[in-house]
Amino acid sequence: MQFVSLILKNSLRNRRRTLLTIASVALSFCLLGVLLALYNALFFSEAKDEQALRLVTRHKVSLTLVMPKYYDQRIQQVSGVAAVLPTMWYGGAYRDARDQRNFFPRFACDPARLFDVYTDFVIDPEQKQAFIRDRRGALVGKTLADKFGWKLGERITLVGDIFPGELELYLRGIFEHPTDDEVLYFPFEYLYEGLPSGRRDFVGTFVILAKSPEDVPKVSADIDELFRNSPVPTRTETEKAFALSFLSFLGNVKVFLLALCGAVTFTILLVSANTMAMSIRERYREVGVLKTLGFTQRAVMGLLLGEAAAIAMLGGALGLGLASFLCVGIRSLPAFVQETKTLAVEPQVALFCMMFAAFMGIASALIPALGASRASIVDALRFTD
Amino acid sequence: MQDVVIETRKLTKIYKRDEFEVVALKEADFTLRRGDFVALMGPSGSGKSTLLHLAAAMDKPTSGSIRVLGEDIAALRDREIAAWRNRHVGFVFQSFNLIPVLTAHENVELPLKLMRMTRQQREEHSRTALELVGLGDRVGHFPRQLSGGQEQRVAIARAIVTDPDLILADEPTGNLDANSAQEVLTLLRRLNEEFGKTVVIVTHDPHAARFARGIRYIEKGELLPEGATPEDWTPATPFAVTTPGNPKSSAQA
Ligand SMILES: Nc1ncnc2c1ncn2[C@@H]1O[C@H](COP(=O)(O)OP(=O)(O)O)[C@@H](O)[C@H]1O
Ligand SMILES: [Mg+2]
Repeated sequence: MQFVSLILKNSLRNRRRTLLTIASVALSFCLLGVLLALYNALFFSEAKDEQALRLVTRHKVSLTLVMPKYYDQRIQQVSGVAAVLPTMWYGGAYRDARDQRNFFPRFACDPARLFDVYTDFVIDPEQKQAFIRDRRGALVGKTLADKFGWKLGERITLVGDIFPGELELYLRGIFEHPTDDEVLYFPFEYLYEGLPSGRRDFVGTFVILAKSPEDVPKVSADIDELFRNSPVPTRTETEKAFALSFLSFLGNVKVFLLALCGAVTFTILLVSANTMAMSIRERYREVGVLKTLGFTQRAVMGLLLGEAAAIAMLGGALGLGLASFLCVGIRSLPAFVQETKTLAVEPQVALFCMMFAAFMGIASALIPALGASRASIVDALRFTD
Repeated sequence: MQDVVIETRKLTKIYKRDEFEVVALKEADFTLRRGDFVALMGPSGSGKSTLLHLAAAMDKPTSGSIRVLGEDIAALRDREIAAWRNRHVGFVFQSFNLIPVLTAHENVELPLKLMRMTRQQREEHSRTALELVGLGDRVGHFPRQLSGGQEQRVAIARAIVTDPDLILADEPTGNLDANSAQEVLTLLRRLNEEFGKTVVIVTHDPHAARFARGIRYIEKGELLPEGATPEDWTPATPFAVTTPGNPKSSAQA
């Protein structure tokens, strides 16, 4: 394009105004970038490999209700199921429960079967065996262990709330996983010890590993169909959908995020439109000069809109840089959803934002640019501000 | 090769503003031959610029006909007009109208960017034009770093860089001191004599008009016939304002 340099020079004509505009567009796009990154992470991102293969079955009515243990065998027989892990949410308190920092999920499970489902847990084979063998053994994720400074052999005491009594666990294994590593597992066996036999035959959730991604939808439908007419119907969804369902307000989050994005967008449009209106007005006469030299209406439009797009895209790029930076900060915050731990401005979000920036710039300048480029040369030349 | 460069018949331009009409040019018959250098003189508001704008197809006539370099420019479409003007007409303004963010070279090069030309060709043409106007050493200067006279010479370089046949200059010395005016007029004269350009300048300075080969007078929108001079010269004639129902009355008064 012949006129890129002219466009850039024009945009720097009123340096202070352009820089202020770029700054405000950048700030808006920073916010927009983070919001969209969140939105993307929560509602669009593909579950990764094994995660995409995992499903969770729970009581159809509520997560707080339990299912009969014998569902285990029935689920194992569903075609497409590779492995099943019954688990039970323990709740309870570690140290002072009033301090939120002491909260982390604790599950009772069958240690020998845990790694059949969580094939992506990385753990030293000796630790794995130690955990499977110890009736009071605990397995935790590395992030959690680091957080509390736990070493192997550490005694971890949990005080029950849903369940009576106390648990005295000994840390036997520490696994690594990129996201799901702020969790503690311990054996059912130990939990059941302190329970009356009537409470032993229930399970909170079944974690299921499907054989292939193609099996996932069918497995989910088949399991729920299996128990549809039983007294305890189930609901089976992907692990990711399950994780999101914890946020009961998520429906609102979606609306909220979109509303924020809309407000930010509108602000950018106003700021940019104001700048472009001013700078085009200042150059009204010059448009007449350019047309005298032989510039067509379309070429003039191109110059003016190109300038608006350049300013907006520069602001957009800066804003996205800032947003990536913010995402790094957010990643290190305590996670309320796993997704925020890997939050980043993904390439597709960045691309979308840049296209959006160009579009916003053009939209904001469209009306004054049309006015200026359509004006007759003599009117434009007579224009004095 | 067309011998007649500009030919107008009963060329009329009426500007409408709200309910007022201004007859800026009234039935002008104007013929300009190749190689002519004509000064258009008349008081402010008499329609000099209007005639120049019509000749450069920068505006459309209300009635009458105009042919420039053999082209019926009123019949061309907007995009064709732009290309035609780019190639055939160089226009020089009173207030120079250089693009402030561009250097002298970039300003001069601008019309060439609308043509099929390599960067190198553009640079050559631009340098030639700037050397011709005596500013070969100022190619990298921005307008604000130049004097008024130099700015106007850059503007002339920009007007001639596409090698147009016709140069139209609207009060090119109006914003200049006597010395700079002299330089600019000499330059236009040279373009006419050495390079055979057909030139029209608008001026109300009789001294400037003497650089031209001929003078045409225009008063209240009426072009006086060739050779005629207004005996009752009254500068600063008020606008010719009429009501829509009676467009000609006051122009004749
Ligand atoms: N674009 C325009 N819109 C309205 N009126 C105009 C326009 N251009 C010129 N006029 C009017 O037409 C008359 C002639 O103007 P102009 O040709 O610029 O005079 P000159 O160049 O001789 O001073 C003036 O009364 C002027 O106000
Ligand atoms: Mg004038």
